[in-house]
Amino acid sequence: MNVRSISFRLVVWYTSLLTGIFILLGVLFYFGLQHFVENDVQQTQMHRARQIADTLLARIQQTGEAYVADEIKTLYAPEINDRFIRLTRADGRVIYVSGAPTDGSFNPGEIAAATPGPGSDFSRQIHLPGGKTLLVAGVNFQPPNQTSSQQTLSRQTPNQQTPSQARYCVEVGALLDPFEAMLDRLFLQLALGLPLAAVIIAGGGWLLVRRALQPVAQITHAAELITQHNSSERMPVARTGDELEKLSVSLNRMIARLDDAFQNSKRFVADASHELRTPLTILHGELEMLAEDARLDAEGHERVASMLEEVARLAKIVEQLFALSRLDAGEAQTEWQPFDLAELARTTAEHMGLLAEDKHIAISSDASRPVLIEGDRARLKQVVVNLLGNAIKYTPENGAIQLSVNAVNGHAVLEVADNGIGIPSEALPHVFDRFFRVDSARSADSGSAGLGLSIVKSICTAHGAEVEVESTVRQGSCFRVKLPLFKN
Amino acid sequence: MRILLVEDEKKVADIIDRGLKAERYAVDVAHDGTAGWELVAAYEYDLIILDLMLPGLSGTEILQKIRAKNQQVPILILTARDAMADKVKNFEAGADDYLTKPFAFAELLLRVKALLRRGPVNRSSVLRVADLEIDRLSQNVRRAGKKIELTSKEYGLLEYLATNPGRVFSRTMIIEHVWDQSFQGLTNIVDVYVRHLREKVDDPYPVKLLRTVRGVGYSLNDETQP
Repeated sequence: MNVRSISFRLVVWYTSLLTGIFILLGVLFYFGLQHFVENDVQQTQMHRARQIADTLLARIQQTGEAYVADEIKTLYAPEINDRFIRLTRADGRVIYVSGAPTDGSFNPGEIAAATPGPGSDFSRQIHLPGGKTLLVAGVNFQPPNQTSSQQTLSRQTPNQQTPSQARYCVEVGALLDPFEAMLDRLFLQLALGLPLAAVIIAGGGWLLVRRALQPVAQITHAAELITQHNSSERMPVARTGDELEKLSVSLNRMIARLDDAFQNSKRFVADASHELRTPLTILHGELEMLAEDARLDAEGHERVASMLEEVARLAKIVEQLFALSRLDAGEAQTEWQPFDLAELARTTAEHMGLLAEDKHIAISSDASRPVLIEGDRARLKQVVVNLLGNAIKYTPENGAIQLSVNAVNGHAVLEVADNGIGIPSEALPHVFDRFFRVDSARSADSGSAGLGLSIVKSICTAHGAEVEVESTVRQGSCFRVKLPLFKN
Repeated sequence: MRILLVEDEKKVADIIDRGLKAERYAVDVAHDGTAGWELVAAYEYDLIILDLMLPGLSGTEILQKIRAKNQQVPILILTARDAMADKVKNFEAGADDYLTKPFAFAELLLRVKALLRRGPVNRSSVLRVADLEIDRLSQNVRRAGKKIELTSKEYGLLEYLATNPGRVFSRTMIIEHVWDQSFQGLTNIVDVYVRHLREKVDDPYPVKLLRTVRGVGYSLNDETQP
C-alpha cells in the first residue's frame, strides 16, 4: 500500500476523525447517562425520605414512634423492594430499620449510622462488600411544635428529651445495582462497537475516496491514449461543474496546443520538402548542363561535379524528410499484403552482398523458416536495407554481420547484429531521433544526414512494430524489430 | 517530333526546353494551364510534358480534358508530389509516365525517348557497345568474343547502361531500375557494383568502356570512337 498516496491519506484522516468523534460521543454519553441515573436514584430516594418525614413523622407526637415504624413497614415494604429504610432519633436511637432484602445483597444492621447534621438533606454512596453500591438519601426532620399545652408540658420537664423536641433522621437507600449492570453493558457495547465502527468507516471511506478519484483515473487513462498519432482526439469531459471538469477541460486545451504544434511541425516538414524540390530541380538541371559543357576546363568540371554531389545529397535529405512526413501523416494501408519476412530479408541481404563483400564482411543469415507478416513490402524492405546498410557502414573490414528472422511468441522478430564499432550508451536513447548522429566524425565520410534510423522507426511504428537496439562500444550493435505475425 | 511542355516554374521550363532543343526536338512551352490547354487544342503534339501544380487549369484537369477528347498523345507527368495515391489517380486519368522532382535531366530525356518510341519498336535482342555484346535473351555477355561471367545485379547494371550508350545515368536512376526504391538511401551500392563490373568488363582490355562522370553518374561507351 502506498502510504503517500492521496487516497491512503484521505482514508486515514477520515477514519481518525470519525473514530475520534465516535469515542468522544461514547464517553460523553456513558458518563452523562451514569450521572443522570445516579441523580435520578438519589432524587427518588430523597423524595421517598421526605414523603416519610412529611406524612408520618409530622404526626409522630400524636401517633408514637412505634406506630410510625409499623406504618413504614406496611406502606413501603422495603425488604421486598430491596430497599433500605432507617429512622433514627437525634440521640442515636434507631426507631426503625428495615430487614434484610430478599436478595440478601446487604445487611441493614451493618450500615453505618448517619450523622445527621443540622437541618440539611444529605446523600451518600455506600460500597458494599459484594461490589455493589447502595445509594442512601437522608432527611433531617424536626416535627413541628404541638399545642401550647404540650409546650407547657415540655417546659415542665426540661431535662427529659421529649418526642416533641426530638429531631429525626430518615434514611432511604436503594441499590444502584441494576443501573450499574446497564452501564456496564453499555460500556461493553461501546468498546466492542468502536473497532467495528472504525473498520466500517475505513472501508466506507476507501470506497468513497475511490469513487471520488475514479474520474481522475479515467482522465489519466484517456490522456495516456492520446499520442502524437491521434492528437486530434479529445478526452471526454465530465459535465460535473467541479474541479474534475476544469481538469479535463484544461487538459483538452493543453492537448489542443500540442496538437497544433504537432500539425505545424508535420506541415512544415511536408511544405519545406515540397518547396525545396523545385529549386533543387533547377540547380541540378543547370549544373548537369554545365558539367557537359565542353568550354569548361578541368578545374571548372571538378567544381561543378562537387556542386552536383552536394545537390544530390540535399535531394536525398529532402526525399528522406518527405518520406518521413508521409509516414507521419499516416499512409493508407491499401498497399498492405501478407508476405514472408524471412524471404524478404534473405533476398535483400543477397542484393547487398557485394557491399559487405567489398569490406570483407561476412553476412550470415538465419532466415530459413518462412515468417508471415502483413504490411507494405517496399517499406519493410527499406527497414532491412537501412539496418543492413548501417551495419555494413559501421563494421570495420573483416567483420561479421548476423541477420536472423524468427517467429517468437506470436511475433516476427528480425535481428541485425554486427561486431562493429558499437554505440556509446549515452547515445543509445537518441539513435532513432531525426538528424541525430553519434558523433560528427563517425558520419562525416558516409555523408548521411542521420535520417535512416528515424525512417526505420517511423515505418515500424506505422506497422505496429517495435524497434530496439542493444550495443556495446567496440563490440557491436544489435537492432531488433518486433512485428505482429500475420493471422489468417 | 513536337513536344509541348506545360510548366509554371520558368527556370525548370527553361532547362527542359534547352535540353530538349539540344536533342533536336521542337518544343512549345506554356507557363500556365489555360495557355497549355489552348496549345493542345490548336496543335498536334507527339508528346506532352505536364506539371501537376499549375495556375489556371491544373495539370490533372488538362489531363482529363485531353483524354476526354480521346487523344492518343503520350503524356508525361512532372510533379513534386509523389504520394502513391496521386500516382494511381493520374495513371487512371490517362497519364503514361510519371517523374518526381527533383529529377535528373538525363532521366527525363530517357523517359521522353521511351514514350516517343512506343508502338512498333524493333528492339534488337543483342546490344552492342564497341566490342562488347550483351544478349538480352540468354543474358550472355561477351567482350572481343570472350564470355564474361556476371552476377544478376552486375548484368542488370550493364544492360541498363547499354540501353543508351554515351548517356550518363545518375545513381538514383540506376538504383531505381536495377534495384528498387527501397535502396534509395544506399547510393554507394552503385559505386561498389560499378567497380566490380569494371574488374570484369574493362580491366583485362585496353579500351575502357565504363565511364564515371563525377557528380552525375555513369555511362557506357567507347570514347575513342566519335
